[in-house]
Amino acid sequence: MTVAVAGPPEAAPVPRPSTFVLKQVMAITGVIFVGYVFVHMIGNLKVFFGADSFNSYAHWLREIGYPLIPHRGVLWALRVVLVVSVVAHVWSALVLWVRGRRARGAHRRRRMPRLMASGARLMLPSGLLILVFVGVHLLDLTIGALVAPETFRSGDAYQNLVASFSRLWMAVFYSATMVFIAAHITHGWWTMLQDLGATGRRFRMVWITIGVMIALTILLGNALIPVLVQLGVIA
Amino acid sequence: MTTGERPGFLARRRRPTAPASEPVRASQSATAFGAEVDSMAPQLDAHVPAGDPLTAWARRCAEYRLVSPANRRKFTVIVVGTGLAGGGAAAALGELGFQVDSFTFHDAPRRAHSVAAQGGINAARARKVDGDSIVRFVTDTIKGGDFRGREADVVRLATESARVIDHLQAIGAPFAREYGGQLATRSFGGVQVSRTYYTRGQTGQQLEVATAQALLRQVQRGTVRLHTRSEMLDLVVADGRAQGIVTRNLVTGEVEFHAGHAVVLATGGYGSVYFHSTLAMNSNATATWRAHRRGALFASPSFVQFHPTALPVSSHWQSKTTLMSESLRNDGRIWVPKQGGDPRPANQIPEDERDYYLERRYPAYGNLTPRDVASRAARDEIESGRGVGPLRNSVYLDFRDAIARLGKAVIAERYGNLFDMYHDATGEDPYVEPMRIAPGAHFTMGGLWSDFDMMTSVPGLFVAGEAGNGYHGANRLGANSLLSACVDGWFTLPHSVPNWLARLGSGPLLAPDAPEPQASITAVNERVGWFLASAGSVRPVAFHRRLGALLYAGCGVSRSAATLGDTLDQIRELRAEFWREVKVDGRAGQINQELEKAGRVADFLELAELMVVDALDRTESCGAHFRAEFVLPDGEARRDDAHWANVSAWETTPDGAHRRHSEPLTFQLVPLQVRDYR
Amino acid sequence: MRIELEVWRQDGPQDRGRFEQYVVVDATPEMSLLELLDRLNDQLVEQGIEPVQFESDCREGVCGACGVTVDDRPHGPVPKTPSCRQHLRAFGDVSRLRIEPLRSAAFPVIRDLVVDRTALDRVIWAGGFVDVETGTAPDADDVLITHDDAEQALDFAACIGCGACVAACPNGAAHLFAGAKLAHLALLPHGRLERGRRARALGQVLDDEFGPCSSYGECVEVCPAGIPLAAVAAMHRERLRGLFRGKAD
Repeated sequence: MTVAVAGPPEAAPVPRPSTFVLKQVMAITGVIFVGYVFVHMIGNLKVFFGADSFNSYAHWLREIGYPLIPHRGVLWALRVVLVVSVVAHVWSALVLWVRGRRARGAHRRRRMPRLMASGARLMLPSGLLILVFVGVHLLDLTIGALVAPETFRSGDAYQNLVASFSRLWMAVFYSATMVFIAAHITHGWWTMLQDLGATGRRFRMVWITIGVMIALTILLGNALIPVLVQLGVIA
Repeated sequence: MTTGERPGFLARRRRPTAPASEPVRASQSATAFGAEVDSMAPQLDAHVPAGDPLTAWARRCAEYRLVSPANRRKFTVIVVGTGLAGGGAAAALGELGFQVDSFTFHDAPRRAHSVAAQGGINAARARKVDGDSIVRFVTDTIKGGDFRGREADVVRLATESARVIDHLQAIGAPFAREYGGQLATRSFGGVQVSRTYYTRGQTGQQLEVATAQALLRQVQRGTVRLHTRSEMLDLVVADGRAQGIVTRNLVTGEVEFHAGHAVVLATGGYGSVYFHSTLAMNSNATATWRAHRRGALFASPSFVQFHPTALPVSSHWQSKTTLMSESLRNDGRIWVPKQGGDPRPANQIPEDERDYYLERRYPAYGNLTPRDVASRAARDEIESGRGVGPLRNSVYLDFRDAIARLGKAVIAERYGNLFDMYHDATGEDPYVEPMRIAPGAHFTMGGLWSDFDMMTSVPGLFVAGEAGNGYHGANRLGANSLLSACVDGWFTLPHSVPNWLARLGSGPLLAPDAPEPQASITAVNERVGWFLASAGSVRPVAFHRRLGALLYAGCGVSRSAATLGDTLDQIRELRAEFWREVKVDGRAGQINQELEKAGRVADFLELAELMVVDALDRTESCGAHFRAEFVLPDGEARRDDAHWANVSAWETTPDGAHRRHSEPLTFQLVPLQVRDYR
Repeated sequence: MRIELEVWRQDGPQDRGRFEQYVVVDATPEMSLLELLDRLNDQLVEQGIEPVQFESDCREGVCGACGVTVDDRPHGPVPKTPSCRQHLRAFGDVSRLRIEPLRSAAFPVIRDLVVDRTALDRVIWAGGFVDVETGTAPDADDVLITHDDAEQALDFAACIGCGACVAACPNGAAHLFAGAKLAHLALLPHGRLERGRRARALGQVLDDEFGPCSSYGECVEVCPAGIPLAAVAAMHRERLRGLFRGKAD
């Protein structure tokens, strides 16, 4: 206790990669996800214009840039970026979570009833839910296995979607997950602001507003589809 | 009790007497003070350069001997305290290349009580056209101190003040700025110019944090070794000079000797001897008092400033009086109802039934009279039955007019955090109701006597900041305390300590096994052991509370021979009772706040006696020392320059008797005159 | 007022510690939280129990020495107020309080409610200062600082170093503390000259000794100095800036 501030208490192993790097990985991959989910949602809205519109959109996704880029080139590139991002995002999140638990120490404390804190608390469970959802979604509408509707036919995206969402449990699962995705995006978007270091008062206000709007748009745009299928509006 | 008994403290659980080293017995003799007449008092030489006081400091700096940069690391300087004075001195000496050992009883240097100063720091930068100048600053400070301060020292204070602001703003203190980018200033009590620089109501905090940062920078550089949670419990004097200190590690209980070529005490004032004071809970006089018991003269112990804008004591268990910055008097108006005991709430008392007594009695300075005058006036009002609040022990400080004139937003920007603090403390909203304030023990002008070079009467022992007796005479002007601490720490000791070291030479440090440190360690251990073995039943804090009440009543805003005499007896009784009845729980080898407190209260009980002795001895009224017998016909203080234009510096002999030394004061720049703030 | 207290007692760093039940029968609404503990200690000593050790100093909310956790809230139930300025009258109708130390792995308990917060000093020690030698500073009036910059610097410089932000953080992060220091010094002309190296140095300590920030925002709820959450963003801004710029400033 005598020379109290002469360096870290004992040579504790320095955690690598540093928390700062992991947070930046979270932020950057988070931006990628929000961008992807938003674009994906816009694409989904084609469903309102009928089967042809939706299917040609699905087809176009595979043909972007052709003939400069091979068939499905962009799609696969996107898939690789997304997979790498998912791995990085999830891994960073888990490492940070462990570090946070360790830094908090042994004593648990009841948390404060606060919106922002609730958002933060929801990140890990909602993140895990989203992981499950992505798996289900891929099996259901991309791969066509296990949870896919019996009538699944590769290439007929519109038909597959309607068939899938006609099942009540799947419609509920999709819609409910969208609520958590929206919550995840809202807090993630806000944290991104912190992690990327925006301090201006007005910029922060604008940023947060945009984040909430993106989250709401994604929630409405996506959750509406299963609801409308159930109601028979989309058939 | 038998004299000279030095019992093995572990042998007997219950002993009704103090350890042999405590001066309980001798000082109980009635002749322990003030027996000497003036002419008999040994004269002290403050080593002020002869000639023009305006150039004294510059001439002295030119004379100082230097230590070459390559040799500096061979010298060890001990600095106790990490406030503005101690932190500044340690950082500056470290920057120069000396090896510094810095001590604080806090867990972090930033918590030193400098942090709690609010209103601002004065500087005679004299940029405005309001008539400020070095000489004006000296005049204000000398006059504010009622001609009991040393003129040449105050010139140094004024001269170095400009650099203090430059330096502190460069190391991180964000001083308030005008829209044009220049430093903003405001006015404080006792002056008619605007020379107080500030950062909202948290000037001390910002200066202290900047200073602590600068200190930690030197810790990182390796020039300063920082010892936190280490309390100095003794000074080691060997070969007639200070050679180190003995500390107790407050966590492990280890008692250690630290050797140095010079020792700097920057341990703050002793206002907390009054229990209810604006000081921090841990502020104490132990370091300075222990140094005093090792031979350092203690100057003007009775000069205690009562801050007029403290919050009144409102409940029995209140642990302290909260300070409200004097800067509030810039915009707040002080008043009491003309009718004593007026039951109406303040806002329902019409204008013509209010007595703005400071504006009435002192029209030239109004609400900005010096603190001693304002405190005395408030006490007069309260004692004449016109006090306000549930206990009728306070006066109003009203912002109604300022809010009407400037708007709530301006007042909030200037004093927002003070208003919040007031609201927390009292539950009342000062934007709506007037604040209630009362005089509270605050700053101690007295302290270890030092010469012009800040060296005490023990060679090699330096003092800085409030721990010393410098600059302020019998009353300190607002915003001069931060300044004096900064000037001592940053810009005086870095000159004068190397001068001492250069003369001393870098000989070996005193070995820990030398007889003097061993004796000190033994004495400290014995006292600790005695406390822990004590089998009384009363917590140390209870004695502190009672001591404070005695001092407020007998040696407070106003004193008289009768009250002082009674108080002296009561203090001695209380001290005897302390050593009979005190109970200290716990062990030595761990954090033990009861033990810390016990030692501090024991030292307060000795210091309080000296305060009263000094107050009784000084048969005049000057500044904060107001003797009821010595008044002018209009009730103002009657100073006696013929007999008392001097500093009383007290020696306490090992058996507890007090002997006055005297340093004559002469004034060349500011002719002796009666203070008049009317 | 009768208040039942559940107080954390821990004899030393190695002791496991436990809650003890006490009752203060003569509490008053004017009492501060710490005065309640003072009163408790009076009673404990009368009963022959060792008094509870807790830290406090200025009791005006500025030194940062005090800080206990009350019913899971660092400093106590009143938001943004240090323990010494929490008065019972503001607690509403309470009859029971649980008091424990500030909790965080970075703050080991020394005894009872006293914790070791030197980890915060190591953040400053790493570079939370300005490299200006005594006496070399230019005239402060020649260094122009806008009114707004000075005020904003002061908003961040108001930090009292109590550590409540760390204790409040479910991740044990000190981003608010370090961010306040970086933002404060980055707004001042001299501090600006070593922004980069300061950010890198402070960031290192932050990563090594504290947890990550997940924007819970509980730190600002308890901060007695009202440091805004933007301090955390400032922390990242300074680090990113320092990283990409790679220079001392």
